[in-house]
Amino acid sequence: MPDSPAGPATGTNRDAWVVMPVYNEKTVVAAVVSEVLRSFPNVVCVDDGSVDGSAEQVARTGAHLVRHPINLGQGAALQTGLAYAKARPGARYFVTFDADGQHRVDDAQAMLALARTGTADVVLGSRFLRDDAEVPWPKRVVLKTAVALSPKARRLHLSDAHNGLRVFTRPVADQLRITMSDMAHASEIVGYLARSQWRVREVPVTINYTDYSKAKGQSLVNGVNILFDLSMKQRGG
Amino acid sequence: MVIQFILLAAVGLGFLLFVRRWHGVRMQAGKRIGLVAFTVLNIYAVLRPNDVTWVANRLGVGRGADLVLYVLVIAFMLGMLNFYLRFKTMDRRLTELARTIAIREAEIVNRERGLLAPHDVTVSVPDDAVLSVPEAAVGDPVTGEV
Repeated sequence: MPDSPAGPATGTNRDAWVVMPVYNEKTVVAAVVSEVLRSFPNVVCVDDGSVDGSAEQVARTGAHLVRHPINLGQGAALQTGLAYAKARPGARYFVTFDADGQHRVDDAQAMLALARTGTADVVLGSRFLRDDAEVPWPKRVVLKTAVALSPKARRLHLSDAHNGLRVFTRPVADQLRITMSDMAHASEIVGYLARSQWRVREVPVTINYTDYSKAKGQSLVNGVNILFDLSMKQRGG
Repeated sequence: MVIQFILLAAVGLGFLLFVRRWHGVRMQAGKRIGLVAFTVLNIYAVLRPNDVTWVANRLGVGRGADLVLYVLVIAFMLGMLNFYLRFKTMDRRLTELARTIAIREAEIVNRERGLLAPHDVTVSVPDDAVLSVPEAAVGDPVTGEV
């Protein structure tokens, strides 16, 4: 449903920007964007070189559209979205949100509310703080292993290092530099937070594991790629 | 065996060299000297195979050709590693370039769509482009102004 260009007249959340990387999400992206626009007037979708017409779907909504001329990976798309959002006047909070519909807007609201209290600089969503049962077990094993293998995630006492739902306050976003273009960016963000002095809080969120999002999720095989890229990066490659 | 020790040490040292953040001028010069030395050694090996065999025997390798092969394997590994690291730097630059283009174009498009006020155009995009270029990249041309 096309919203008015300025977004719905909720009046709130005008200082927040939702950054949504989009890659071949044609079937769901318009619905997800419309849902988010109801609560957040500022949404920027970064189309990462989709070939299925996702960009056209986004263009029909009231979200800002940034198109990568070529596919650069999800991490690069996040960084692009953040760069675009940071350049907009009055932007103070940045929410990263997956375009496949696995996140809930209510969770984003709650996380933003926590950031607004000033008690946290970064708020991360965690699917393990609430109820483990809804996470499919192969996924749970992969994600738990990812946390266990990451000394940084342990240092921050994170329960979920690979959740796409995050809220950054302005100073954090200003310093964040995502250079890992592919899926390793999630670990990169955690590493950045662990090295910094930012106050990081986790908030329980619920993931909607639809068949669609399951089909697009990270696989164990991809975990090998992530580990390789990260190990090279840590040695300064 | 002496040769095994030498080969393993060479692999380890080479890996460390390439992987540390020593991408200065000296590193660059070192790589080039290494390349030239390797070439010269190969020419010598072709011209005087018996000498190579003599060296190989001293190191506990049967034939000179085997020694050349071992050295080649190591050179190949290091070359690949070097290529990989360079490729990653290229990739990073490409990303910055594409990002800058994408955001500039997006500002035009989104203004036409009525989402951005006419004056809401920034030149702040390159701040990212500049700062996120890693220190490893020497003599960066990315830092150009808008």
